[in-house]
Amino acid sequence: MNVITRGMRGALRSPVRSGAIIAMLAISIGLILAMLVARASVNAKISEVKATTATALTINPAGIQGGMGGGDPLTADQVKTIRNTAHISSVSAILTDQLGTTDTNLTPSFELGSFGKRMMRFDSGSSTGPSTNISGNADGNTEAKTPPAPRTSVTGTTNPSSITPSDKLTSGAMIDGNSSDKVALIGKSLADKNSLSVGSTFTAYGQTITVKGIFSVDNAFENNGIIVPLATLQTLTAQPGAVTNIAATVDSSDNVSSTVASLKKSLGDKADVTSQEEEAASSLAPLESIAGLALAGVIGASIAGATIVLLAMIMVVRERRREIGVIKAIGGSNAKVISQFMTEGMTLTVIGGIIGIVLGIAVSGPMTQSLVSSSKDGAPTNGQQGGPTSGSNKPAVFLRSARTQLTTNVNNVTSTLTPQTVVISIGIVALIAIIGSAVPAWAIARVRPAEVLRTE
Amino acid sequence: MLTVKNLTKSYEAAHGTVHALSNVNFSVQTGQFASIIGKSGSGKSTLLSLLGALDTPTEGEILVDDADIAKLSGAKQTTYRAHKIGFVFQQYNLIPNLSAIENVMLALEFGGMKSGSKRHKRAQELLLGVGLSDDEQLRKPARLSGGQQQRVSIARALANRPAIILADEPTGNLDSETGKKIFKLLHDLTRKENTTIIAVTHDLDIAGKTDRTFLLKDGTLTLQ
Ligand SMILES: Nc1ncnc2c1ncn2[C@@H]1O[C@H](COP(=O)(O)OP(=O)(O)O)[C@@H](O)[C@H]1O
Ligand SMILES: [Mg+2]
Repeated sequence: MNVITRGMRGALRSPVRSGAIIAMLAISIGLILAMLVARASVNAKISEVKATTATALTINPAGIQGGMGGGDPLTADQVKTIRNTAHISSVSAILTDQLGTTDTNLTPSFELGSFGKRMMRFDSGSSTGPSTNISGNADGNTEAKTPPAPRTSVTGTTNPSSITPSDKLTSGAMIDGNSSDKVALIGKSLADKNSLSVGSTFTAYGQTITVKGIFSVDNAFENNGIIVPLATLQTLTAQPGAVTNIAATVDSSDNVSSTVASLKKSLGDKADVTSQEEEAASSLAPLESIAGLALAGVIGASIAGATIVLLAMIMVVRERRREIGVIKAIGGSNAKVISQFMTEGMTLTVIGGIIGIVLGIAVSGPMTQSLVSSSKDGAPTNGQQGGPTSGSNKPAVFLRSARTQLTTNVNNVTSTLTPQTVVISIGIVALIAIIGSAVPAWAIARVRPAEVLRTE
Repeated sequence: MLTVKNLTKSYEAAHGTVHALSNVNFSVQTGQFASIIGKSGSGKSTLLSLLGALDTPTEGEILVDDADIAKLSGAKQTTYRAHKIGFVFQQYNLIPNLSAIENVMLALEFGGMKSGSKRHKRAQELLLGVGLSDDEQLRKPARLSGGQQQRVSIARALANRPAIILADEPTGNLDSETGKKIFKLLHDLTRKENTTIIAVTHDLDIAGKTDRTFLLKDGTLTLQ
């Protein structure tokens, strides 16, 4: 039997008291781990949200919101300026247009309805109204004679997958946004209505376009849409270089405001630049306070754990002064007595630590979830960002879907229990044991062996 | 050979300085059994604590085989206690959560016996020598009688073949019958090994049978 085994036996000498100490330690260590996990998950989510949403910029030509309003689209030069702006890491450009019945052989998948009629009340007489289609292509006379029908939205984009992720394709394949081929992705309702499948062709702007893929999203408006490469739509509509919306990404959330400022400077009053930085910041505020709270919890529980070991060991040393004196009197060195009592403290801490870590692993998931969901209401989750939108609501849809995505992300904090977190909590446990045993060790060294000769 | 010269010990207490020992001089030959008698508070335990290097004197010398143990450093005091001294206490002072045999093995460990099986064997021999059966050797102190506990404590004191055994009222908690047996045991065992014994006792009967008897009175020692 050596110092270590004596220490371990000493720790379990009084089962009830040791049990109580171990239980208290286990609770504080479990709490430490759960708080560490909560903090890590929340921080991971914060940086994820920051990296995605908080760095997104929307640039619209002045006066144009999707197909509504007036003014000119952004020109090729302006798009180039945006691309060349410092800290802009990616740019996806969109040109939206609408197909009337004279532009295409496609039949829209939904009825005009009273809303559509109201939207079209200006079109009968004038071809220069605010929501007119493509000025070069419009023919007032022909349009006036055709029975009114809802328009079909066409989105030209450099980045089709940002509008319709490839997992929304029910058949076919993605198209290349940088080509100028006459190819399209079309919404499922539109395809069904016109009996189109992958490889079929349809007519638009007097040209034959081949269906490359069919997508389905849970939005009837979008399911009536057409997505084509940006250059294709620019050519078909005779608007070379024109862009009605740009979704740009800034390389880091730290550079968002400076980038917005320099874009506003270079584009002047020709475009509106909007960032979601503030929105992201306010959505992240509750998460950040949880992270702060979790850190405070880690520190508090660590102090509690260290105090428990400290008090327990002081109690043990006080009670066993005579035993300490006897060990010294029969030739045990200070180092041996101290190691024995430190081993006792370590044994309690390690047992408490193992139980605590198991406890922590068990509770960290639900705890993180409840911390997060109590700070944010469960919001409906429509993760579809953007969409083959055109017509009157493009920016609004874009902003709304960005916001819902944000809420989804914030709520989907998955508790990330990494080996690293476990290692950190084991480190804290060791620290607790050392701090908790250091003071008693000092007290042990001061026990005078001569005391054992005293008879009380 | 143990020689004490001009030994003085004072304690600083709240109500002033306590002169527990004043200018004590004596010597004991190797292998002698010396007893110290004296009233309570006369300084007997203080003297033993200095001889056993549990404390350091205020003044004076303690020569054990010509080395002055009063001037040892803390680490050397520990070695001295482990190798040269065996203590027997009035209250036995066994470690409560160790069995009898483990208590003896603990002293052997401090004495530097590395092999666990050797310690076990030696502890068994020692405990048989003081009259503890195999079964009794495995018991915790709480399950042994006072006399048995004191036997274990004697075995522990003898474990490292010390030069000097210091016993502070070893029979103080025992009935006189058992006390006499314990004294006889100490006497016989140490005679075999030629160990010096200095024992504090109240029992004048016992004191009368030792080689020399000293009287302590208010910190001053005289030979009887
Ligand atoms: N640590 C101490 N501090 C102060 N006074 C002490 C201390 N130890 C002993 N004394 C005093 O020294 C005197 C001798 O004590 P002690 O050696 O224990 O006597 P005895 O063992 O003969 O009864 C007593 O007056 C006692 O109160
Ligand atoms: Mg005494």
